[in-house]
Amino acid sequence: MAVSPFASRSPSVAVSSPNTAIRLRAAAAQNSANEPAPSAKPLQADQELTEQLNEDVRQKYIKGGFPPFFLGEGTYAIVYLGHLRDDPSSFVAIKKIKVNAEYKDGLTMDAIREVKYLQELSHPNVIALHDVFSSKDQNLNLVLEFLPRGDLEMLIKDGDIHYGAADVKAWMGMLARGVWFCHENFVLHRDIKPNNLLIAADGEVKLADFGLARSFADPYLNMTHQVITRWYRPPELLYGARQYSGAVDVWSMGMVFAELLLRVPFVAGNTDLDQISKICEAFGTPTEENWPGVTKLPNYIPSDRNHLVPLQGREFFQRQFPTAGPVGADLLMSMCTLDPRKRNTALQVLRHHWWTAEPRPTNPEDLPRKSGGTQKMGDDLSRRGGEMDDGPFKNAARQLDFGK
Amino acid sequence: MSSKNGIARRDEDEVCPVCKSSRYLNPNMQFLINPECYHKMCESCVDRIFSSGPSNCPVAGCRKTLRKNRFRKQTFEDIGVEREVDIRRRVMQVLNRREEEFDSKRAYDDFLEQREEIIANLVGRIDVAKTEAQLQQYATDNMQSIRTNQALEAQEASSFQARMTQEQEEARLRRQAAREEYENERREMQAGREDFLSRLAAGTAADATSIAREGHKVLLKKSSARRSEEDRIRQKQAALRGTETTKRTGGPLTTADIAGAAPSADTGLVKGLRKIKTPEPEKPYDPFMGLVPEKRDYYSLQSFYPSSYLEPIRKDTRMLAGGYDLREYYSRTLFEAFAGLGCFVGEEVAQRDATSAAGISKPAATEGAAMAAVGNAAVNENTA
Repeated sequence: MAVSPFASRSPSVAVSSPNTAIRLRAAAAQNSANEPAPSAKPLQADQELTEQLNEDVRQKYIKGGFPPFFLGEGTYAIVYLGHLRDDPSSFVAIKKIKVNAEYKDGLTMDAIREVKYLQELSHPNVIALHDVFSSKDQNLNLVLEFLPRGDLEMLIKDGDIHYGAADVKAWMGMLARGVWFCHENFVLHRDIKPNNLLIAADGEVKLADFGLARSFADPYLNMTHQVITRWYRPPELLYGARQYSGAVDVWSMGMVFAELLLRVPFVAGNTDLDQISKICEAFGTPTEENWPGVTKLPNYIPSDRNHLVPLQGREFFQRQFPTAGPVGADLLMSMCTLDPRKRNTALQVLRHHWWTAEPRPTNPEDLPRKSGGTQKMGDDLSRRGGEMDDGPFKNAARQLDFGK
Repeated sequence: MSSKNGIARRDEDEVCPVCKSSRYLNPNMQFLINPECYHKMCESCVDRIFSSGPSNCPVAGCRKTLRKNRFRKQTFEDIGVEREVDIRRRVMQVLNRREEEFDSKRAYDDFLEQREEIIANLVGRIDVAKTEAQLQQYATDNMQSIRTNQALEAQEASSFQARMTQEQEEARLRRQAAREEYENERREMQAGREDFLSRLAAGTAADATSIAREGHKVLLKKSSARRSEEDRIRQKQAALRGTETTKRTGGPLTTADIAGAAPSADTGLVKGLRKIKTPEPEKPYDPFMGLVPEKRDYYSLQSFYPSSYLEPIRKDTRMLAGGYDLREYYSRTLFEAFAGLGCFVGEEVAQRDATSAAGISKPAATEGAAMAAVGNAAVNENTA
């Protein structure tokens, strides 16, 4: 069944879709003589309908709640904690996009992408965008689901937190579902990494930060290869491929999987070149034999003939990731195939028999948790896509080149 | 033990009804009975008659076949009591339902009454065949629950036993501690007094009153310090005991815990049993969490569509090497072509109005899950 865009997506209040708002507006206009309008500011008759709608949405939420209502600030946005005016217990995160010097005349690309794709996607493993409104100074505000338990990166890095194969399987399952759902709806996320995987109060992992997302490209249309944080970037993007598929997200997913198992990033290059050489070392050197056409890719760098690393087999993955078990290692291998055409799709990943093998994935509510997640969520949401949190390349953040 | 001795001592001239030998001639004579017919005979008779296998009861008029291994010593002097106790034990072992298994107190009482009736029937030899058949039927039907309840009883008995021995041990320790404490106090008192006397002897007469007061004070202080110290130890021990007991009794087994203990709740002999809810077996993990992959209502997707527009891509190794997948394009194009079919705005509006009128609203996530199999409206613009 296809679904019309009428469906309400508001967290808990029925007044959400534009039509309802219009009806309410009409009702309010009729009653305006004896009853004050619902919004705090009295509405003027000469306000345009769109402005009125925006005002309605804006009045629905209040920034604040218990302290700290300020969740985080980054280069790109400020994140506040807010709640519905009618229901102080329904928390939301309000992401206020900063006015960017580069895009004086309009909105930043990240914000447009985020709104455009998030409003289309509604899935338990994708962060929910409840509403969008603009505030007084023409700032764009995204009302997002409040995810108080931080992100996966926080759990990976915390040595005090112990988790096992069942927990990894549960997290990977949620991640794979989220990615699969995006792909099923023809959206490429293009920035999957542990600190974009936020954790909800019930333990569900949610795919967040759609600042680099885009829809699947039409044939002959170029896409940028400067996406995905370097450590999670697949070889085809490093080689500058301009036509690619959902396989790029699957590679990132595989890297997250490996990082969950090892608790350190698996292939962490300092530069793009370093990243390529690290990938070659880890998985094998791409050649025409194991990846037909690879030499034709725009930024292909012929590797040293004397240092050809053969393609790594199943034993390598089993040895490197003993905690995943043989079946898990097999799945990881299928996600980290160099040739994107041979890489599993998200659907194939979910159809792998690892999910049904022992151990059973932990229930979301029983997964390990860590406090201090609200702050982390603020930081995660205010970061620009493809940016790193810390590390030696803090200032080497990549800018999307939209000129091409 | 005592009953055996009692019997032996009382009846000096007791005579075995089978071999007629008397206790006078054989002081070590012991009588045995068989619960089959409860006829009494001496040990040597049992050995003599039944050693070579089952045989008939030697008592005149009783034709019961008896086996040697069932012979045992009599517990009660009155053979009727002995028999009733045996019957009672046997019935209780089969009808061993517990109070928590019943819906109500009334049902449990009914059950107890029924059990007493059955016992009375067997003891009074009324409808024996029918009652026995009932009992037999019940035993086979409820084998599992009978066994679990027996295990529970055994467990309770053993834990009771353990508690009793523990309490006794504790009481012994307490007594010992009290004795030592008294002993210590007495010794200290003695020592204090001696010290006091020696100081009095050494000091001058003027100091006498002050020394006396001081000595008294020291004694008092000592005893109060000791008392508080003892209190502390006692409290510690109590706390320790508390944790021990909770540890030991942690997780008491109940009939409800045992899944499938009684599949037949109200069938057969016992009525009013509580329905036992077996916990729903955990569903196998669904990687898709209820969504149906590749669900298409109006079309089926092929892996190849001839098109001159797409032909160059199929040959372009560079594009293909980047992983560009035409199947993704097919799937999106077809989805977009059919999007909106089966979408009836009127119905949706009516539904939405109904829910908003009732004030019911649901979180976006569940709504999303319901519609997620196919996804929302397609995203068909291209950026970058």
